[in-house]
Amino acid sequence: MTDTMILPRRLLLGAALATPALRGAKAAGEVIVRTPGGVYDDIMRQHVYDPFTRETGITVRPVAATGAKLIAMFRANNVELDLIDTGDKQLLALENMGALAPIAYDQWRWSKPEDIEPEVKKTYQCGNFTYATVLAYSKTAFPNAHPNSWAEFWDAGRFPGPRMLADAATGSPNFEFALLADGVPKDQIYPIDIDRALRAMTRIRPQIRRFWDTGALSAQMMSDQEVVLGSIWNGRLQTLIDRNAPLAYTWNEHMIQVQALGVFKDARNKEGAQRLADFMMQPNVQAAYAKQLIYGPTNKQAQQFLTAEEKARMPGGENSQRSGFYQNINWWEDNRDRVNRAWSRWVLR
Amino acid sequence: MPLSRLTAWLLLAPTLLLLVLVFLVPIGWFIGGSLAELGTLSEIWEEADAVLFSGAVGGAILNTNWIAALVTLLVLLIGYPMSYALSRAKGLVFTAILLCIVLPYFTSTIVRTYAWMVLLGRNGLINQILLGIGLINEPLQLMYNRTGVIIGMTYVLLPYMVLTLYAAMKAVDQRLLQAAEGMGASPATVFLKVFMPLTLHGVIAGVLITFILALGFFVTPALMGGPGDIMIAMLIEREVELTYNWPTAALMTIVLLTVTLILYAFYARISDQGEARR
Repeated sequence: MTDTMILPRRLLLGAALATPALRGAKAAGEVIVRTPGGVYDDIMRQHVYDPFTRETGITVRPVAATGAKLIAMFRANNVELDLIDTGDKQLLALENMGALAPIAYDQWRWSKPEDIEPEVKKTYQCGNFTYATVLAYSKTAFPNAHPNSWAEFWDAGRFPGPRMLADAATGSPNFEFALLADGVPKDQIYPIDIDRALRAMTRIRPQIRRFWDTGALSAQMMSDQEVVLGSIWNGRLQTLIDRNAPLAYTWNEHMIQVQALGVFKDARNKEGAQRLADFMMQPNVQAAYAKQLIYGPTNKQAQQFLTAEEKARMPGGENSQRSGFYQNINWWEDNRDRVNRAWSRWVLR
Repeated sequence: MPLSRLTAWLLLAPTLLLLVLVFLVPIGWFIGGSLAELGTLSEIWEEADAVLFSGAVGGAILNTNWIAALVTLLVLLIGYPMSYALSRAKGLVFTAILLCIVLPYFTSTIVRTYAWMVLLGRNGLINQILLGIGLINEPLQLMYNRTGVIIGMTYVLLPYMVLTLYAAMKAVDQRLLQAAEGMGASPATVFLKVFMPLTLHGVIAGVLITFILALGFFVTPALMGGPGDIMIAMLIEREVELTYNWPTAALMTIVLLTVTLILYAFYARISDQGEARR
């Protein structure tokens, strides 16, 4: 996911153009990977990077970079990193600019390409886990009946209280949920009717305390009871629930999104990047980090390393398979400008 | 002995070089490169017309100016008495006031903004106190709306005003005030007819610098504002980070930069006059 800090974005252009090359003398033996940062790096270091270094001698260095910084690097012809671990939509944007190399599935030696879920196995990117945007609610505000669908989320008469939904700044506002609430069947969401989605959004807007733009903010607003209902990434919410926050969620009508790997075609250590991608997709490796991230593995063989309880918490498990849908990133990427303009106009109204 | 022109330039050279390299060059690069992407001058103009007169940008520019104006007014109303107290205070009291103003600025804006969020939230300290003493029945909405933006920005910008005004007030010749008193003027008259006019250039400088800084604000409205509290800097960030529409971002940057530079020209003139008067 593209969960970035807010402040450093302002500096990104200057940073992209002005920072000296990150790379030291050990260039050949190091893969630099873009990650979402924070706890994510710790988990990946333990389950992926360190074992990879032990196996190959290649060290791995995670760095933070926003989508715009990646583009700036590519355009300035100064690609400072090798592997990109980010949202699938951002990778699609890079792919469309011609910045990526194909994933070298034929060179894989640790993972089997045929084990990867077909939805996330693409020429220029390979999903390394799935995460879900779910409908979350406060158990304090709704001790008995709670909203169980987006139509009920939209029903402020029956379920009163402040709410939150995702902002366009997350990459995509929750148009899918607005359409579901408006009665559009799950298989007919795409192509999204932007006007219809915004009309539905207008109905619930008085109840929206805020549109969240980062995963951190969404978690904070749920845990502070600033809102009693909201859309949120399942891992962020599960972490709060595991800390005994009086929160819960429904798997019904959740949206599955994909975190994926891509390799810069101008990367200095392209081969190392391809090997790290291969290593990361192994069933047992995926199971280990997915368990901790509470996100779903994309290698079908990873399921055997997970308990029923663990699977129940993840997207891709039995609970989720019945009711989820994949976000159609092609539509979002093709309509990026239209969405952003329509959203800005709507939000400023 | 006054410095010769050459020595002055030599002393300034490292700073100027740094600013040009890390500030002017990247901005020029970004704006130039982005606009070049659009094509010819008439194509640039077409895009500028489409972007700048679309609803969103116009709305954000209005928002930005309105919020900046409100914040500047509040900062002036709070800052003037504060600076007056500061300019009169001596010894420990002076140190105490100054520390209160400056100390919070040793932490980052983000941390301070989060501190406000803890205070102003629906279940935050202020609402809990007000609910506890029975002054309100429902929590007030102090955050994630315009009120939150104004409170947060006023707080962040206050020291710029206070320190600017303090300099102006400290420079007022006390003998003038004593002379006015000696001629039988009431304290109110001394203040209105002598002290205030003498500090007016400080007020204008303070107002301009606060307003200029407020125009480019990003973190506070992004964290404390509601859905509609979009300022121009946030819109620029979206074009850079979300739609990768850098030409549009460059056009918006030019607008913000132009407004800021015009205001800065006023500011420079007024502070020059202030200097000259001394």
